Amino acid sequence: MLQRLALALGLLLLGPALALAHGPTPQRADETLVIAAPPEAVWAVLSRFGGIGEWHPLVKKVEATGGDAAGAERVLTLEKGEVKEGLDEADPAAHRLSYRLLTENAEAIPVSFYTQTIEVKPDGAGSEVSWGARFYRADTTNEPPEDRNDAAAIAAMTDFIQQGLKGLQAKVTAK
Amino acid sequence: MSALPRLALPRVARVRKAKAGLALARLAFALLALGPLAASKPARADTPAPLVAVVSQKAAQLSLVDIEAREVRAVIGLAAVPAGLAASADGASVYVTHPDLSLVSRVDLASRTVSATFKVGLEPFGIAVSADGRHLLVSDWSADALIRLDASTGAETGRVAIGHAPAGLVVDEKAGLAYVADRESNQVSVVRLADMVRIATVPTGRAPFALALSPGGERLYVANVQSGDLSVIETGTTPREIARLKIGLMPYGVAVTPDGRTVLVSNQQSGKLAIVDAQTLTLAPAQPRLGTFPEGITVVSPTRAAAVDWADDEVVVIDIEARTILGRVKVGTSPRNLVALPGVR
Repeated sequence: MLQRLALALGLLLLGPALALAHGPTPQRADETLVIAAPPEAVWAVLSRFGGIGEWHPLVKKVEATGGDAAGAERVLTLEKGEVKEGLDEADPAAHRLSYRLLTENAEAIPVSFYTQTIEVKPDGAGSEVSWGARFYRADTTNEPPEDRNDAAAIAAMTDFIQQGLKGLQAKVTAK
Repeated sequence: MSALPRLALPRVARVRKAKAGLALARLAFALLALGPLAASKPARADTPAPLVAVVSQKAAQLSLVDIEAREVRAVIGLAAVPAGLAASADGASVYVTHPDLSLVSRVDLASRTVSATFKVGLEPFGIAVSADGRHLLVSDWSADALIRLDASTGAETGRVAIGHAPAGLVVDEKAGLAYVADRESNQVSVVRLADMVRIATVPTGRAPFALALSPGGERLYVANVQSGDLSVIETGTTPREIARLKIGLMPYGVAVTPDGRTVLVSNQQSGKLAIVDAQTLTLAPAQPRLGTFPEGITVVSPTRAAAVDWADDEVVVIDIEARTILGRVKVGTSPRNLVALPGVR
């Protein structure tokens, strides 16, 4: 008991030093949407890493550096704060984009880390866009509060992806 | 996820005080949660691969998979959120960690039932079994410790403080050492098992997670998730990193072939298998696609390896020689890790 308490206190003291620490149990969210436009047209919008603010309804502002190649970074301003993301892979042949969270902000989105991958595949004359995320809850202890547990993380990521897909669809199909 | 029905859990063994002076038996070859299976007596190339045990996080299952026939032979229900696993050298038991429940389960392979559960630490993650089956080693992700347990009772018999968020661990039985990947400390801790003392730390790339020993124990390969590279550590009296090579996006699993010549790495974010020549430390240009989010990888026989794809719920069967994917086997949702079961067909 005392040992546990001591450990818990130790962890609390160490807390601030642990940048981007996450827990041992990942979660996932995956959504797909068929968009009535060819993959090249979807990719043209999606592949501009700094352009997400033009189509994602939850992104208020973007500050991007490094262009559209691996290593690029962007700071997204969401309703309740900023998160920073880094581009890991942009594959124009596969129409596949993969990026990760660099600076977390549980107020803005209740996760402690994520990677997201978006892939565009042909679907008849249109495209099927798959958007998947792998992430960890914001509070990685075994007694997380309700707004920082697995369910909160899954709900927030699912909503972010669903709204993103709809926003992407609206942007790509707008005349 | 956190609301687990109590009745799903078999009775919990009470943790007792460590008995002083308990002689630590020689520990088994690495059967580790995240590492490779170093078979102490590799099967000959013409012998069929043993069964593979797979933990599925979301399905809360242990599946026993025949990778040659590409069939699931048995499914055993577990408590929630299984993560790491290790098999006893005699093939009688598999031990599974449940970090979210502070729990370790023992699965009896003869009866294919959960025969015991033990409360262990805060977030038990990586696990290994001693060669004689009497001791377990467990890394505790949030207590920053390596814990030794009596395998029959679950009683804690030793503990040593290591770095932050210890994940994968491997044991070199001959040397009497455990190597633990301290994920948030960007280092490997080297622990002497006789007295559970940390004797060295070795800096690595960012976020080391899985590790694997060469068959002779002279080299340790560490997959660094965040920096996307592989640390090559020379063990011995003063362990040190001799090379760090770019390997791909988010390497989450690493395994060494029984001849020590090839290192296999599963890159989670790119979904690919990276193949490294252990002599030249160069990366093969061809990278077969494992799946969407591959995690654990293990060598099953001299000719076969297998990985799990956490997103597509598959075990992926790999031909080591041909460097190709031979097939896939569906298992329960979100498989995270796997281990070969020595001698179990």
